[in-house]
Amino acid sequence: MSAAARVLSWLDRRSDDVSPLVVKEARQVVRSREFLLSFSASLLAGMAVAFGGATAALSGSTTSGRGTFAALMGCLGFLGLFVVPIGAFNTLRNERMEQTLELITLTSLTPRRVVIGKLLSQSVKLLTLFAAFAPFIAMSFLLGGIDLTTILTSLTLLYMASVWVGALCLFLSTLFKSRAGSGLVFGVVALFAIVLLPIGLSVFRAAVFGVAAPTMFGSGFGSAAMFKELTVLGTFWVTTLVNFVLLAKHRLSLATEDGVTPLRIGFFAQFLLTVWWALVSLFSTYRSATVETMTALGAIHLAIVAVFIVTEEMSVPRRVLHRLTMESGIRRLLALFSPGAGRGAAYVAAQMVVLMAVIVIARSLTGGLHPPAAGLRRILAACGYICFFTAVPVVVFRRVAPSRISPFKLRAAVLCAVAAALVLPDILHYLIFRPDVLDLSYSARHLINPFRTLAHWAEVEARGWTVMPLVIGVTGLLAYIRLFILGARATAQAAFADPPAVPAEEATARAGILH
Amino acid sequence: MSEAVIEITALVRHFGDVHAVQDVSFSVDKGQVLGFIGPNGAGKTTTMRILATLDTPTGGDARVGPFSVVDDPEAVRRLVGFMPDYAGVYANTTVGEYLDFFARAHDLRGEARRKAVAHIIDFMSIGDLRDRHVESLSKGLKQRVALGRAIVHDPEVLILDEPAANLDPRARIEFRTLIRELAADGKTILLSSHILTELAEMCDAVAVIEQGRILATGTVQEILERVRKRRVLSVRVAGTPSSLERMLIEHPGVINVHEVGDRLQFEFEGGDAEQVQLIGRLVAGGIPILEFTAHGADLEDLFIEITQGRVQ
Repeated sequence: MSAAARVLSWLDRRSDDVSPLVVKEARQVVRSREFLLSFSASLLAGMAVAFGGATAALSGSTTSGRGTFAALMGCLGFLGLFVVPIGAFNTLRNERMEQTLELITLTSLTPRRVVIGKLLSQSVKLLTLFAAFAPFIAMSFLLGGIDLTTILTSLTLLYMASVWVGALCLFLSTLFKSRAGSGLVFGVVALFAIVLLPIGLSVFRAAVFGVAAPTMFGSGFGSAAMFKELTVLGTFWVTTLVNFVLLAKHRLSLATEDGVTPLRIGFFAQFLLTVWWALVSLFSTYRSATVETMTALGAIHLAIVAVFIVTEEMSVPRRVLHRLTMESGIRRLLALFSPGAGRGAAYVAAQMVVLMAVIVIARSLTGGLHPPAAGLRRILAACGYICFFTAVPVVVFRRVAPSRISPFKLRAAVLCAVAAALVLPDILHYLIFRPDVLDLSYSARHLINPFRTLAHWAEVEARGWTVMPLVIGVTGLLAYIRLFILGARATAQAAFADPPAVPAEEATARAGILH
Repeated sequence: MSEAVIEITALVRHFGDVHAVQDVSFSVDKGQVLGFIGPNGAGKTTTMRILATLDTPTGGDARVGPFSVVDDPEAVRRLVGFMPDYAGVYANTTVGEYLDFFARAHDLRGEARRKAVAHIIDFMSIGDLRDRHVESLSKGLKQRVALGRAIVHDPEVLILDEPAANLDPRARIEFRTLIRELAADGKTILLSSHILTELAEMCDAVAVIEQGRILATGTVQEILERVRKRRVLSVRVAGTPSSLERMLIEHPGVINVHEVGDRLQFEFEGGDAEQVQLIGRLVAGGIPILEFTAHGADLEDLFIEITQGRVQ
């Protein structure tokens, strides 16, 4: 056997250890015009930039490496934040359009493995492009003006950002099954990439080199503070990346599969991470602002999650029901993350309790300073509004038109309720009182508007208007309880209607007849 | 005793107000080839997709081996090879790579994967195509490669949705041969087709579906015996005895006597015993019978007989 054949044989053996999708796409990519073009163009751009840097060095500059590296990062940024993510979007979109995704899901490749495989193959593509730039980046280092830490950190950040945007694009590509819908999303993604890319690159350049803007990393690039912020960024990168994968997986899963439970665990982890960093920030210099920001982020996270989860179907998928009846001990706790049966409301309510507990802990650790009592009440009011606007429309819809319910319609009802709360107070005020000039400044009629009320919380407290948010919150809580009850009834009905599953051991034993 | 490998019980699938599948039940025994026939929109593809775990039933269940498509779809996928009515090919991928990818996707590793791909290429006689791009192949060859993809993991059950659609006559004959070989290999096969004459040659039994409901299952003859009250018989005699037509018309149960070529064809209401009596009477009456034929109907006759061409 020749050396080349031995290498190919070794590669073939090793390829068993990577995702089949990576192998397939690597084979496809090397023959694709898009990759050949981007690879050739990046080589040409790299050479041009390096040539410019070398010319500057020859003319006496000792820091031309810095500009060269910035230009190279611009090229890599274009590839990493535009070409590769758009490729990721297209690769999954094409699988759906050409109906090959169905053929894949019939194999041992689960939707999760498909999404991870797609992400890995894009990462490999990205690494290949990075590798093409390696000689030029090395040259920029040799030209002087930039240190190795900056180079490595910049490349790592760009790589992370590219993978993150790639995961986001993969998720977006799963949103629509139709060619038209998918095309629309593709257009929006491309437009965003085109608009955001220059902004992203400018911010990146400013953060790294401190040009024309304050640095992103506190006391400077390479400092301990920067690495602490990178840690925060890194943990959020991991959790959001995992959640994008889980979201895409959920969108690709068949109705028989439970894509909801891991997704809820993932978002719960993201929520816990937010409150964890809120707690940690108590011991930082900017604790007041950070605690406020983190708790506000936690509340926004909860609101978004609640819109999607409280509006879920009440019925428990048969497979989930069977799994739940078979589980025991601590695994039963996982039932909180399972779909159906009003558990979505319980899941959101549990997170609200965690958020409140963290704020109480934060206050006790800071002697009641962070957040202040008013801040605590404001978060409590935010939770009340979330309960009200996610549960009351759902309960009313279920009561008025039970036969027309679908998660999509319920979500639309929630959004309509929020929209009504934003505009109706002013419209009704105008229609009833017919003022000459409609005064839009915050007043009692705007208490139903969650955004304005929370933004003017100090005024609400000062004027003693807290009763209205309290009533709204209690109504929302009661609606949540109503959803639990409806869910429990749906579960009982489903358990009665479905026959018991064949135990796994019996099924496996009976499978013997086939072999 | 035969063992049902596919068992569908009270299967229901609704798409909003459209009831695509309504209370469908039938089974397919191990090694059997069952033809699934029905007009367009009858519910064939929906049933097959549920069996392949690509869709989920609104009610009822379907089992492949001991595994439910609802409760254990992963196990079902290991047992099933599905070939939909589209090819599903990749750009910039050769036939060998295409099969290799699906072998990998079925968790075949190393030597097992290489052997599986080599076996499929040999079995499907596509060795010459190995290095050609799949997307550049003709429809017939794509179908062939698609069948290879469906069986690359050596499944026990094959579900083929319109596998012979768009094939030229030669490709159809080759395809039929492949199906026969797979059946001889012990695979349980459920396939749908609009080309009923071909199905009749490939299938051991058929299931007829219309408007989401199963109208009949069994062999073509079994179904015809159930749905037809009358047998179609014909008799050819030496010479032209004028008494034959009179004797037939006078015999109880014989109706609609008419000439078809050199024979008299008629419908007969009665079972085997009555038919023996009729033959005895003709012989006793001195009719010089050369041939007495009971006409079996083909699948097209059956299809026309029991479906009404209604769609949902």
